[in-house]
Amino acid sequence: MPGSNSLYQPHTPARRHETGAPALILAFAMMLLATVPFAGRAAQPAHHGGGVVHTVIIESMRFTPQTLTVRRGDRVTWVNKDLFPHTVTAAGKFDSHEIAAGASWTYVAAKAGEYDYVCTLHVGMTGRLEVR
Amino acid sequence: MRRAVYLLGAVLGSGIALAWAQGMPSDPQIAAIVVTANQVDIDAGKLAEQKARGAEVKAFAKRMITDHTGVNQAAVSLAQKLHLTPESNPTSQSLKEGGEQNIAKLNELSGQAFDKAYIDHEVAYHESVLDALDKVLIPSAQNAELKALLVKVRPAFVDHLNHAKMIQSTLAGQ
Repeated sequence: MPGSNSLYQPHTPARRHETGAPALILAFAMMLLATVPFAGRAAQPAHHGGGVVHTVIIESMRFTPQTLTVRRGDRVTWVNKDLFPHTVTAAGKFDSHEIAAGASWTYVAAKAGEYDYVCTLHVGMTGRLEVR
Repeated sequence: MRRAVYLLGAVLGSGIALAWAQGMPSDPQIAAIVVTANQVDIDAGKLAEQKARGAEVKAFAKRMITDHTGVNQAAVSLAQKLHLTPESNPTSQSLKEGGEQNIAKLNELSGQAFDKAYIDHEVAYHESVLDALDKVLIPSAQNAELKALLVKVRPAFVDHLNHAKMIQSTLAGQ
């Protein structure tokens, strides 16, 4: 939606009031701001609900990319392309439990932090999620 | 015990060497080797899931059943898609016999002795299958999808081997 970028990218709550835009446009802009809190990521392809959607592929006992950096509010979907289950587990932080072969699991990166995670079912599988 | 493990590895490995001496296996033979190799480990896993004493050993057995079943389902459906009828051969027969001998031996053991024997065999088994994948199966596979499947599942065998070795060293300290 490149045409709508100009609508919400430069807007901050303060400037929005300065424009004196009609109530309908203001409401629309607020809605966009609410659903896409980080305007700088407008160039990225996938938006869904609360932010950019990132994908980590699980295949051949590896998380790819092994380290992923996202912004707060983004969603991360792990897709299991292996022939058996895996987990995405950062102890005490998040846990997918078993993701079946061919299935996926989505996590909303709500809190900033650096999360090292493992597959609890296999000894050598590690990944890292950095939430800015 | 360690000597027994090496001996077991040599026995398992001899089937592979034999097949190699007779020329590289065909795709139908590779399909039979893959299906047999997985089935043997599923069978041992099912026995260990019931008989193992240690929780870690039981969990490993459950993992072997799940993972090797997943690999076998993919191998069988690929074989069907490619109209490959798995063809029995010296390597698949050797794997099958080795699996039966292992089950017979494990049936006579219990407790800690069972756990050690099961895990020792798992280490030797995964080492020999990895050896076969690298030296015989992957280089011989003609069909690109069959070769790709073998390459895709290889890391699982490495992970299982490392997992089995970890448990082996834990058991050795008990």
